[in-house]
Amino acid sequence: MAEYFSDDMIVCRCEEVTVAEIKEAIRQGAKDVVGVKRRVRAGMGLCQGRTCEKMVQQIIAQELGAKPWEVGTSSARPPIRPIAFGDIAKGIVE
Amino acid sequence: MTMEFDAVVIGAGAIGTSVAYHLAERGLKTALLEKGDIASGSSSHCDAVGLICDKQPGIDTKMGQYSIDYYEELAKKFGFDFEFERKGCLYVCETEPEFAAAEEYMKKQNADGYPLRMVENKELCEMEPHISKDIYGALYTPPSGCIAVSPYKVCFAFVEEGKKYGLESYTYCDITKINLDPKTNSVESLETNYGTIKTKRIINCAGAWAPEIGKMVGLNIPIEPRKGTNLVSEKCERLCNNKILEYGYMMSKFDGINFKRNVSPLVEEQNIAFNLEYTQANNLLVGGNRLFRGFDTRTEIETMKAICERALRFYPELADINCIRTYSGVRPFVVDHLPIVSDVDSIPGFYICAGHEGDGICFSPFTGKQMAHIVMGEDTDFDISKLDFARFGK
Repeated sequence: MAEYFSDDMIVCRCEEVTVAEIKEAIRQGAKDVVGVKRRVRAGMGLCQGRTCEKMVQQIIAQELGAKPWEVGTSSARPPIRPIAFGDIAKGIVE
Repeated sequence: MTMEFDAVVIGAGAIGTSVAYHLAERGLKTALLEKGDIASGSSSHCDAVGLICDKQPGIDTKMGQYSIDYYEELAKKFGFDFEFERKGCLYVCETEPEFAAAEEYMKKQNADGYPLRMVENKELCEMEPHISKDIYGALYTPPSGCIAVSPYKVCFAFVEEGKKYGLESYTYCDITKINLDPKTNSVESLETNYGTIKTKRIINCAGAWAPEIGKMVGLNIPIEPRKGTNLVSEKCERLCNNKILEYGYMMSKFDGINFKRNVSPLVEEQNIAFNLEYTQANNLLVGGNRLFRGFDTRTEIETMKAICERALRFYPELADINCIRTYSGVRPFVVDHLPIVSDVDSIPGFYICAGHEGDGICFSPFTGKQMAHIVMGEDTDFDISKLDFARFGK
């Protein structure tokens, strides 16, 4: 599917990262989702990659000739959705 | 396949990338080996500032100041942007005794020529309009002694700029063996998944993982992983204008001072030291703590809770801002809180450059440059014999 993405298409909406920028990150040595994230911020925004991660995987897989499940996911970290600092302090973290 | 290099640097964090850059710049054919990706360990799981005011007076502060000024030089020289910014720093004092202790510290630093000064409550509230109105005062460090950078971009920058001098980086590299000359015990080669690499010089910059590399050549390197956690906010107003840290934490750690902060058992037990900064992407980083948990870097819910509790004491408006992410990483802890930047007497050609704990980002440019001097057999820019590995044998 990644072959249909044009270079100027925005993949990560939260951080406004394009296909071309993701390809550049891969050229600089990114081999997985976290590597792309660290280089161009795809997946670092409000939704934490919930929307773009699958597309990022497909682009990396296409560029490196790998399978999408071979290029990893971002690390699982709390919170599972945005939560106010005040609520965390009160212990409402489930 | 056999490759040959003048120098091989192990570890592509803030220290290893800087060392590799400086060796390549000096004309050595240099390889950088990393078991994961560039900046995938401590250097992407930390905060983003370099300070002089969290250092002990003396060599510690001198290295910090050198590094801060050198960062500025590199920011101008490099084509690769690593988000360098000068900013002020406020060590906030919750109470009068903390303020008095901070003032003592300030006097020592002033005597060495560093322009730190105390700000009282009124001025503090003007400088930081969102801070709690009842904070007693703060120790202020002007932007001459405090900077912000993106720590992982610093690593990418050193690698990309190093490539201009011929630096080669090998990521996802497994080192299985280090071979020493049986007669002289000097460095000969490494066995890796990229094949055999011949070299006469190995610089161990593996941070918290440096002891694993040390074991391969029979060295006991006394570095332990110490965990730290930070919380990331959604993009929001820059709640603070300066880097904010709490002074009371530093005080409760000083030897010989019997000082206890007025904090909850949870904050005490989680070893929380409040700090706050904004990033260029307009997220806030809220931290932090230090705990010994081995290499377990999972975020702990109790830590999150304790950091938030402490942060709200200083910045109540955080209560309504969202946290979108947390991260935890390990810092390379050394018992005397000084890094090891040194050759090793018993193994010619083997060098250690690790153990910076929470100062790796700050000390990165300084360390890389000094390590290059040591490897080239030159004098360092000033006496750093306190960082010698031999100090642990005494």
